[in-house]
Amino acid sequence: MPMQNKPSGFANPWFQLVLSVVFVTIYELLLKRGAMETAYLMDRWAWTGISGLASLYVWVGIVLIILSLVTWLHVLRYIPLSIAFPLSQVVHVLVPLCSWLVLGERITSPRWCGIALVSLGLAIVAKPAARLEERL
Amino acid sequence: MRPISFALIFIALAAFVAGQLLLKKAMEASNADGFHSRKFMQPFIAGIFFLTVQFFLNLGLLQRYDLSYIYPFQGLSVIIISFAAAIVLQEKLTLQLAIGAALISAGIVLVSIS
Repeated sequence: MPMQNKPSGFANPWFQLVLSVVFVTIYELLLKRGAMETAYLMDRWAWTGISGLASLYVWVGIVLIILSLVTWLHVLRYIPLSIAFPLSQVVHVLVPLCSWLVLGERITSPRWCGIALVSLGLAIVAKPAARLEERL
Repeated sequence: MRPISFALIFIALAAFVAGQLLLKKAMEASNADGFHSRKFMQPFIAGIFFLTVQFFLNLGLLQRYDLSYIYPFQGLSVIIISFAAAIVLQEKLTLQLAIGAALISAGIVLVSIS
């Protein structure tokens, strides 16, 4: 098993998994903010999204994308993919919730149902993950 | 939707799954052999390559179709990756994990089509 010599504290892979999804959630919101801020800069290259680079939000977002990749790679060193990847999908709960709370977007009721389904699936995956942790 | 776009969606999905599996393989090798070994470098570079392919295929698809049309297919990646990890990486896939992954997939599809 790839779980031997699991580091503790900051390098703990479960903590890094949490960091990774927090980074993803924040960069999604930042990219949205940055994209809206620069949407008026229309020219013939608009379809590439390149004008987004004029926003500071987008650049901070890019830094967070890189950080989320680094933390995700660290997670992969220790946690099986069949557990880590489903758990990382908590972003599909966090991003809609934050776009509702922070950006004031509306969430329709079928969408709430989808978010509930994802949460239920996460709860079910979390149990084997907890068992995995106990075995160490 | 043209058949070619349908094929592109599946190639993008396959590239994403392959990329994740290769990165996982690379990071496991880094545990045993460090970051300078070929066992790490080869799957790592291949993994980044496949994720890059997926990124651009996806970008191209997004130029032609709505996000809500493309995104549900990405929801499928959860269940596919769980099974692929069990088959390719010999990870233990319990019934519980499979059910959890299926629910997450279903939830993502529901969020994106609604």
